[in-house]
Amino acid sequence: MTVLAAQTAFYYLAAASVTSAILAVTRRNPVHSTLWVLALFLHVAGIFLLVGAEFLAAVQVIVYAGAILVFYLFFLMLLDLPSEAAGPRFGAHWPLCTAAGLAFAALIWYAREPELVPPAQHTVAGGSSPGNLSTVGMALFTQFALPFEIASLVLLAAIVGAVVVAKRKTESL
Amino acid sequence: MMPVGAYLGLSAVLFGIGLIGFLGRRNIILMLVSVEIMLNAVNVSLAAFSQHMQDPRGQILALFVIAVAAAEVAVGLGLVIALSRNRPGVSVEDLTQLKW
Repeated sequence: MTVLAAQTAFYYLAAASVTSAILAVTRRNPVHSTLWVLALFLHVAGIFLLVGAEFLAAVQVIVYAGAILVFYLFFLMLLDLPSEAAGPRFGAHWPLCTAAGLAFAALIWYAREPELVPPAQHTVAGGSSPGNLSTVGMALFTQFALPFEIASLVLLAAIVGAVVVAKRKTESL
Repeated sequence: MMPVGAYLGLSAVLFGIGLIGFLGRRNIILMLVSVEIMLNAVNVSLAAFSQHMQDPRGQILALFVIAVAAAEVAVGLGLVIALSRNRPGVSVEDLTQLKW
């Protein structure tokens, strides 16, 4: 990919993701908000492709856009939407919230170093691209095998926790 | 190729938008959605650093963030279901029973 194409792609993806995030936060109808978040997730997947993280982009589309967002839409449709969409979108303290969010974003914006220089020696031997699925998979199943297993334990705890929390109370128990 | 600072700036803006949504929205489900926006912002900067350092560890951390986000959604929406069973509506301003 040429430099100009990469820059154009980045600016498009950045503008589209910021716009869809703003729309997601400000829309009145929760279903519309969730669909704008879907647009955001797909553009973030594009950004992952741009930085060479192909596997992460695939996981983003499959898990975030596929599973998590469908879960949100499913729950929104279980609940009573019309009465929710009628009230005000933001609480009475929204100017304070906006100030806090803008201040936080400005702090990170000024704390970052725009011209960071890459480190001299690369930690990956052989010089293969880190987005390479084999590189990520090799690290995930050798060096990070224990965190990988712990992540499965976290998901198991979440399954059991969700069932316990959402279970209907029964008298016989 | 864009410098890593551009990705970090995008990440900062997305995180700020998610923070505004989390603090300001009245709907609990949209507050959780705003948390997802913030997690995505962090994933963007992790992936950008992964490319910058030529090191797959940033991507692996982003994968774990996605796994924890999935767990958070399951438990959080389970809590919302339990709440809406006790009282209709998903507005945070109705939840004042813990207020002393």
